[in-house]
Amino acid sequence: MEELLEILSEVKPGVDFETEKELVDSGILDSMTIIQLVARLTDEYDIEITPMELVPENFNSAEAIYAMIQRLED
Amino acid sequence: MTYTSYLYFFGFAIIVYVMYLLFPIKHRWKVLLAGSCLFSIILDGFLSLCLFVTAFSSYFCALQLTKMQDDFNSAKKGLSKDEKKELKNKVTKQKKTVVAAAVIISLGILIVLKYTNFFLGTINGISAFFRAGFEIPLVGFVLPLGISYYTLQAIGYVVDTYRGKYRAETNPAKLLLFVSFFPQMTEGPIGRYDKLMPQLEQGHRYNNEDFTAGITLIFWGLFKKLVISDRASYIATDVFSDYNKYGSFVIILAMICYTIQLYTDFSGCIDIMSGTARIFGIRLEPNFRQPFFSKSVGEFWRRWHITLGTWFKDYVFYPVSLSKPFMKLSKASQNHMSKFMASIVPSSCALFVVWLGTGLWHGADIKYVLYGLYYFLIMILGTLFEPVFVKMFSKSKIDRRGRLMNSWAVLRTLLLVNMGMTMFKANTIGDFGAIIWRSFTNFSMNDLMYGTLFERGTDRHDFVVIAIGVIIMFIVAVLKEKGRDPLKSVSTGRIYIKWPVMIGLILAVLVLGAFGPHYGVVDNIYAQF
Repeated sequence: MEELLEILSEVKPGVDFETEKELVDSGILDSMTIIQLVARLTDEYDIEITPMELVPENFNSAEAIYAMIQRLED
Repeated sequence: MTYTSYLYFFGFAIIVYVMYLLFPIKHRWKVLLAGSCLFSIILDGFLSLCLFVTAFSSYFCALQLTKMQDDFNSAKKGLSKDEKKELKNKVTKQKKTVVAAAVIISLGILIVLKYTNFFLGTINGISAFFRAGFEIPLVGFVLPLGISYYTLQAIGYVVDTYRGKYRAETNPAKLLLFVSFFPQMTEGPIGRYDKLMPQLEQGHRYNNEDFTAGITLIFWGLFKKLVISDRASYIATDVFSDYNKYGSFVIILAMICYTIQLYTDFSGCIDIMSGTARIFGIRLEPNFRQPFFSKSVGEFWRRWHITLGTWFKDYVFYPVSLSKPFMKLSKASQNHMSKFMASIVPSSCALFVVWLGTGLWHGADIKYVLYGLYYFLIMILGTLFEPVFVKMFSKSKIDRRGRLMNSWAVLRTLLLVNMGMTMFKANTIGDFGAIIWRSFTNFSMNDLMYGTLFERGTDRHDFVVIAIGVIIMFIVAVLKEKGRDPLKSVSTGRIYIKWPVMIGLILAVLVLGAFGPHYGVVDNIYAQF
């Protein structure tokens, strides 16, 4: 989780990712930022993220992103 | 037949609604289907043919995709991990072929009908430039109304089935209804199968709240279209078609009027369509969310024509960004560029594809291509200069999220969007340049003092009505932005709120609507795409 929080802060500095629960719904993560994040995640975790996974529910919080990574790693 | 014509409202929609209520609940979707088919035939027989081809090709392809997935799920039982992977790759390839077939058929019809003359004209232009000595005659295709909307809706359905978001529709008649549902046929909003289909197939009983909300939305849409948009159109059309006659003040006023016209025309028609659907108990996707309160151009496009933006995001931007060549580009960028550039180059390339597509979607003309690229350029410049802005604000200690800076951001976005709208309206890019140039260089008080504005079919009364209409829209938008939708309170509120507002809206449309011998019919702008 700490590694993920570090990546998130690098992609989008200045956001409190530990508490924020509406990253997509409130417009903090727009589609361009999500793609930058996906590029980093696929690289760091060696996972394949398809367009099907790119829904707000998977990106609204650090926990949701972490859960998606774990699911794709299995 | 247009949405604002009496025939549509008092004839077609009422007959379909009465029939809808008379039928048993489980058969009510069939009334919607019959109404939608009849509507498309009345609009244009050729439209019906194109619509049926798109609907049925999507139906068969999606059905095939679900069958392939089912076969794969049965076949993979008992296989080893490697065998499963091999079979999955094989099935994925087959599924991609089926999706490609569906897209080629649906998009093929759109491309041939909409873009053939654009391609031929471009070839002829190149031929003339190089004096090649040949000219290909242009073709006389007629573009069926709404083809740009239902085509995207059908493609979205097939792609979602491929992605496994839902199983294919097994009833071809129901899929035809999804693609052709009459309130959204000619101007959208571009619906999604998983949200719209359950509402269409489920019969709805008469519901007082839905009925009142629907009627209110229809009259609110008519107010925007007939009272504001059609009036503003006379000013914008007059000035844009003969801009050399006018000075800066009038040109700037016409630019503002066109922005008002485009917004009230499109959002007004969407309100009429959503209101019609709501009477049947069906809620269409929202297409606007107070776009002129946006603080950036990116935000504006997330609030304006929302269903087109989300369509391009889900079916163009994400797949292109996640495709193998773009992922390779992303890795190459990380190896050869600074961290900042590596993070924006790949997504910017995908964004370019999106804006090229958005521009072309609006029309087969170089003007629309540049219109799309104009917004692309603004967004890219915004992203590139973001670190500079961050430094600037941190050094100057100005609160970027403060009221003053927020107001400036809204005003700046408004100016940039207004410029984009001017490009959209101008006949050619040359005209656009000339209009912008004139708006800065021909300041003269004569235009205002001698009433040049009121010489060509519009008078002071028209300007006053537009101004009052815009103020009312602004108040409604502010309340909506604060989460208090006044239109909603008409359907759910008390009787002393409900009736005065309803009667006021109806009277405003009847008394102030730009119809009668003095006014001509103004076609819906977005129905022409």
